Amino acid sequence: MYEGLSSPNIHTPHNMAEFSSIITHYPSSTMWAGGTYIMTRPDAYPSKVMNAEIIFLGEIEELHRFQRNDRFAEFGSMVTLDEVMSVGKAVLPKVLTDNIREIGSRLITRRATLGGAISTKGLTTSFPGTLVALDANVEIRMIKKKRLHSRWMQLTRLLDRNGTISLPPQSMISRIRIAFTDKNCQFFRSTGSFMTDPENAMSVSFTASLDQDVLNNPTIAFTYPSHGILYSRDIDNVFSSLRFPLDESERRNLEMIIFTFIDSSFQDLSDLQKIRTKGMLRAIVDELNEKTLTMPVQD
Amino acid sequence: MKIDCSIDGKTLTLSLNSNKPLSLILSENIGDGAAVNHCRGDMCGLCAVLVNGKPMLSCMVPAFEIRGKEIITFESFQKTRAMKDIEKAYELVGAAPCRECYASRTMIFESLISDGVSEPEEIIKELSIVRCPCMDTEDEVNIVLKAIDIRRKRRVRRS
Ligand code: FES
Repeated sequence: MYEGLSSPNIHTPHNMAEFSSIITHYPSSTMWAGGTYIMTRPDAYPSKVMNAEIIFLGEIEELHRFQRNDRFAEFGSMVTLDEVMSVGKAVLPKVLTDNIREIGSRLITRRATLGGAISTKGLTTSFPGTLVALDANVEIRMIKKKRLHSRWMQLTRLLDRNGTISLPPQSMISRIRIAFTDKNCQFFRSTGSFMTDPENAMSVSFTASLDQDVLNNPTIAFTYPSHGILYSRDIDNVFSSLRFPLDESERRNLEMIIFTFIDSSFQDLSDLQKIRTKGMLRAIVDELNEKTLTMPVQD
Repeated sequence: MKIDCSIDGKTLTLSLNSNKPLSLILSENIGDGAAVNHCRGDMCGLCAVLVNGKPMLSCMVPAFEIRGKEIITFESFQKTRAMKDIEKAYELVGAAPCRECYASRTMIFESLISDGVSEPEEIIKELSIVRCPCMDTEDEVNIVLKAIDIRRKRRVRRS
C-alpha cells in the first residue's frame, strides 16, 4: 500500500563535509539517527509531506566515536544507549547507567542513539533529564552563512522555558561529554511508560555529595514526557540548604516548596504524575535520611 | 526506491517507499502477515525479526535501512533445527508463549540462546519488550537456560 505516494529522499552523508552540503541544499530535512522516535509515531508512514528529505546520520564515522580521559567520557551522537553501557558501565555515573538499564529491552537501547534521545521533539526516554542533572555538555554543529560551525554548550542552556531541549535551526548535536563524578548520592527512578503512557509517566534524576548531614552540589531534574524537563538552580538550592535527616514536617515542607516550582512550570500535570512525583521525593528523602544515619561519624 | 536485501534466505530486489517499516514490507510485499504485527507505535513487541542475526522490532526499521541486510522471520525460522531446540525447551519447562506472541517471543528467545545469554536479569530485560502477559519471567529464564543446554549437547553429539 501507499507505494504510489511520494517516497522521501534519503541522503546518506559519510562525513561532516557532506552533511553540511546536504543540509545547506535541503534546510528543512529531517535528521534520522536511530529512528526510534520517528518510527513510533502513529502517522510515521506514509509520509504526509510531499518531497520529504531525510538525512540518515548512521554512516558518519565520527558520530560513532567514543573517547575518555580521567575526567570525562565523550560520545559521538550516533553511539547507541546499548554501546554507552558496554563501554562505560564501570566508569559512568551510576545515575546514568541506572537510567539506561531502566529503559529496558536491548531491542530499544540497541537502536536508540544518544543524539536522537536528546534531539527528538518529544521525550521518548527519561535520558535527557539525567544528562541535565549531570550537567553534560554537547557539541552543536550548525550552518551559519553556508559554513559549518561548532560550539560546545551545557545541555542546561539548551533547555527552553517549556522544559524542551531546543536546537538552533539547521544544527545537530555531534558529541556529548559526560564528566565523571564522585558524588556519593545518585538516584534515578522512573515510573510509567514514556512511549505508551506519556501523560502519566515521569522520572527523576538526582545527584549530590552527602557530607555528614549536608548536601553539596545537589542537582535534580524531573522529566515529564508529556511536558518537558524541569530543572532549576533554585530547586537545587533548596536541597543544599537542608540538613539531614529530615523529619516528617520538614519533608512535607520540602515537598510543598518543590511543588510550587513544578506548578509554576507545568500547570497541567496529571494527578498520577503528581502522586508519582511525591512518591519519588519521599524515596529520595528516605534514602538521604538513611545514608545520614548510617554514615560513620568523623572526629 | 529499489532495495536489495535478503529475506528468509531469498535475495530480493524490492521497489519500496523509502521509509516503509519492515513490518509492513513483510506483511504487504512478502505476504508474511501472519507472523508480524504492526501496532503503529503502541510498542506491543509483537514484530521481532532477526536483522543480521540481531533481534529488532521490524516496525522500527525503515526500508532504507534494510539495504544489503539479511532478515530472518519466524516464517523460515520455524523450519530450522534451532527451532526444535526451543520447542523442546518449551516442552521441558512446561510453558510456551501464547499464539499471539509466539512468533515474536520465539525470535527473541533464539537471539538470547544463540548469544548464550544466561544472566536472568538480561533475559528478563530483553523479553520485557513483548507486552503480552502470557508468560512468567521465571519460565522465560528457564526456557533460555534449557535451550542453551539442549543446543550445546546437540552440538557435542554432532561433533
Ligand atoms: S508492531 Fe508493535 S512494537 Fe512493532
